[in-house]
Amino acid sequence: MENWTGFLRLAVRHKEERTIPAEVYNRGAFKVTPPIYLDDPSQPCFYLMNPGGGYVGGDRYKAEIHVGERAQMLLTTQSSTKIFKTLTSPVTQDTSIVMEKDSYLEYMPDPIIAYQHAQYLQNTVIRMERGASLIYGDIITPGWSPDGSLFRYNRLQLKTIVYYEGELVVLDHLQLRPEVHEVEGLGILEGHTHFGTMTVIGEKATSDFVEQMSDALSACAGSCKIGLSALILPGFSLRVLASSTQQIEAIFEACQRCVRKQWFGKKPISFRKY
Amino acid sequence: MDSYLLSLLQLCDSNLPTGAFSHSFGLETYIQNEQVVSKQTFAKWLQVYVREQLVYNDGLALRLAYEALVQDQWETLWNLDRMITVQSMARETREGSARMGQRMMQLGMELYLIPALVGYQDRVQAKQSSGHPAIVFAIIAHHLAVPKSTAILSYLYSCTASLIQNGVRGIPLGQTDGQRLFQELQSYLLQAVEKIEGLDEDDFGITSPGIEISQMKHERLHIRLFMS
Repeated sequence: MENWTGFLRLAVRHKEERTIPAEVYNRGAFKVTPPIYLDDPSQPCFYLMNPGGGYVGGDRYKAEIHVGERAQMLLTTQSSTKIFKTLTSPVTQDTSIVMEKDSYLEYMPDPIIAYQHAQYLQNTVIRMERGASLIYGDIITPGWSPDGSLFRYNRLQLKTIVYYEGELVVLDHLQLRPEVHEVEGLGILEGHTHFGTMTVIGEKATSDFVEQMSDALSACAGSCKIGLSALILPGFSLRVLASSTQQIEAIFEACQRCVRKQWFGKKPISFRKY
Repeated sequence: MDSYLLSLLQLCDSNLPTGAFSHSFGLETYIQNEQVVSKQTFAKWLQVYVREQLVYNDGLALRLAYEALVQDQWETLWNLDRMITVQSMARETREGSARMGQRMMQLGMELYLIPALVGYQDRVQAKQSSGHPAIVFAIIAHHLAVPKSTAILSYLYSCTASLIQNGVRGIPLGQTDGQRLFQELQSYLLQAVEKIEGLDEDDFGITSPGIEISQMKHERLHIRLFMS
């Protein structure tokens, strides 16, 4: 097996109206909590943890997530993803997710905070079978530097690829390189500092549902700039330009709440992190 | 004299009926938000659109498609069609490109007999592919023996020519300003070709959040001159 800084495999399966862990394996600097059932036995929550507190140059992390047929899972992180100065090779985070028939995954990691001179490459590949439903959101902050100035990292690259029944349905590729591009300028972040991207896929994402979501989120956009559009299969992509993590989280929560309620009759969740 | 020249001019002519005149690819949202209001602001927008959007998507797709055609690897063409289609998160832009690709494909079928184009159209009719102008352009340009970098430059020319005409109508600007913009943009198009030639396959599909959000927001504009 390749030489990962941290490797993690987490599988869940459906059993008698519950979802239970089928496999939890980790090695090196990547851990996961035991399942926590936030008032809902059908959908356990797992928190990914980086015991080192952050990523450093050359770190390579790999996570394999498997959601069995009809199983449901909430996946988040215990704290933000911090990438420290990476003067050598970039930090990579590879995540591979398999969702079997009629499974449901909400994957909502904490924001990405890239420190001065950081380089971070995130590759996420999601393979969905028929009837599976997905909510996946990422938040990118302007990072951190000793003198408080923003966008001092070298490179952030997030690539998300989704296959549905073996067909490529989403290719989402974001690269922010403050040294090369004017990241705050026209066409990119356009004067905003924070960027949020969310992908929602599921048979219940009819065009009416997408339209209704677009109306609801536009109404609570405030000073954020929001874009929402239908994918090539039932589902949509949501993009948010904002000036704080909290603004994006509020919009993501509104979206998540609506999907949970209308598709699954579930109550809103609180990850109870802080 | 290059024997392909007249055919290439025909392919890049803004009168080529592909429907490009009805797509602004997000520009109309910037016009309505009053971010693009003058020759200067439009020039800046065009530079960003070429550098951040066309280079990593249409431009790189065209280059990779051309290289696949040289090696007779059609499967790569179909993969590129899928990738450039799903890369676009804004529905109107995605569907607009597919419509333009299909019309250019139909014209290509009327004018030439090219096996790859026949194969591409078969796939579109069977709903296995969407159709995209960058890939159709690569197929025709390769057939006409247009050198690769000339093909990329001409394609960028035809995309920006349509956008400039649309901007002149939509902002509005004078025709002479449009021509000046076009002349000023030339050095950026040459730089873009150089950039595209140096990219890696992994660079494909990089998105520009601001442009993309404007393309998404276009769906909800009340009064629209353009379909995207």
